[in-house]
Amino acid sequence: MSREESLIRSLVDMADTLVDDYDVIDLLTGLTDRCVTLLGASAAGVMLASAEGDLRLVASSSEAMRVLEVFELQAQEGPCLDAYRTGRRVEHENLRSGTGRWPRFSAVALQAGFQSVFALPLRLRETTVGALNLFHVGQAPMDERDVVVAQAFADLASISILQHRATTEAQRLNEQLSVALTSRVVIEQAKGVISERAGVDLAEAFARLRAYARNHNLLLTDVAQAAVDGTVDRSVWTGNAALG
Amino acid sequence: MAGDRLRRILAELAGVGGSARLCEVSTSVIGVSGAGIMIMSGDVPHGSLCSTNEVSALIEDLQYTLGEGPCVDAYRADQVVLEPDLADPVVPRWLAFTPPAVAAGARAVFGFPLRLGVARLGAINLYRDRPGPLDNDQHADALVMADVAARWVLDVQAGAPEGALASSLADGADFHYVVHNAAGMVSVQLGVSVTEALIRLRAHAFSSGRPLGDVARDVVDRTLRLG
Repeated sequence: MSREESLIRSLVDMADTLVDDYDVIDLLTGLTDRCVTLLGASAAGVMLASAEGDLRLVASSSEAMRVLEVFELQAQEGPCLDAYRTGRRVEHENLRSGTGRWPRFSAVALQAGFQSVFALPLRLRETTVGALNLFHVGQAPMDERDVVVAQAFADLASISILQHRATTEAQRLNEQLSVALTSRVVIEQAKGVISERAGVDLAEAFARLRAYARNHNLLLTDVAQAAVDGTVDRSVWTGNAALG
Repeated sequence: MAGDRLRRILAELAGVGGSARLCEVSTSVIGVSGAGIMIMSGDVPHGSLCSTNEVSALIEDLQYTLGEGPCVDAYRADQVVLEPDLADPVVPRWLAFTPPAVAAGARAVFGFPLRLGVARLGAINLYRDRPGPLDNDQHADALVMADVAARWVLDVQAGAPEGALASSLADGADFHYVVHNAAGMVSVQLGVSVTEALIRLRAHAFSSGRPLGDVARDVVDRTLRLG
């Protein structure tokens, strides 16, 4: 495959994740791998913000990269943190041990064999979800065309992550809705069961169901299910004495 | 443009709460005779969130009783279902649903799934009192309306206490609680599970040509015993 074909293939693969059920870690690990294989970065890593806003390491192209990013998080200084905090690109910077913007981080990065870094925010409009770190063993800056591609990768990943979060939230709410409706159904069925067994009306049946749940410190839905399944002694519904 | 549609719909909905408004706005924005929103989960209809008139209420009710119709298909297949000529369809479907729906005055019916991402909530049904397809604008409006309705339902439910149904969703909705009361009673009367009792109730409703809700009401009032 030519470079152009590879790039197009990558963009299509990443866009696919927008519609398919997919794993965020897989997507981001793929992103770091592509930065190495297609864009000539020596190593790449992605951090994502948690719900509380602190960054977590989620994907790295190599073990050396992983160690370095863990250090960046511990030291709370480095290009990924800056890109995330500002929501802007952190331009190519040659590292010098003990000085510059990130003195402690630079020392560790140089030790790991990296000479220069550069970082992009994972961002969609006003929302920054994380950042992409690119490390180089040399000092030459990345070709601007590669930077554009890296940003395109980062943008696609951002859209994908935000989409995934919205979908997950919708799914959670829909399940909640379904559970609420289903447990109400079981309660209504139980009212019918008790009403028929005890020869009382539905309001009285519900009162007995609720009293039993309260007196036995059980959830109303669980008692209703047991009444429907017939796993509660049936005689409890027929007399008030048994409710205690 | 979809953006304009959305703005227009949101402007119509603005300031007025309640699911009833969703169905009214669907009817006026899309330009049909009536609309209803059916909430489903698993493979079963839970009931109707709203309906604009007696015909759309009947369309919802028939689908609940019979388990077939445009909403049920739209939800199950997760795609738009269009029947521009219910009285004389190209391919006949919904053999039980169609005669009473046509008799009530529904000549064209359309089902649009309510979904957000992979979450599927149910479907919105539209009907018209004369045959004919939706035009492109109406179709596009219906898609936007289905999207707005899905978002509205989940937004409202987001504010509900854990395990409970949001009160704005319950207001004006018909979740057929009486049917489940009756199923409980019939299960005791016949010594069968509630699932089977519900099937017996549906069968009775179908064979007597009555809405399931009416049959269930009679059971609860003890004027009808099955078996």
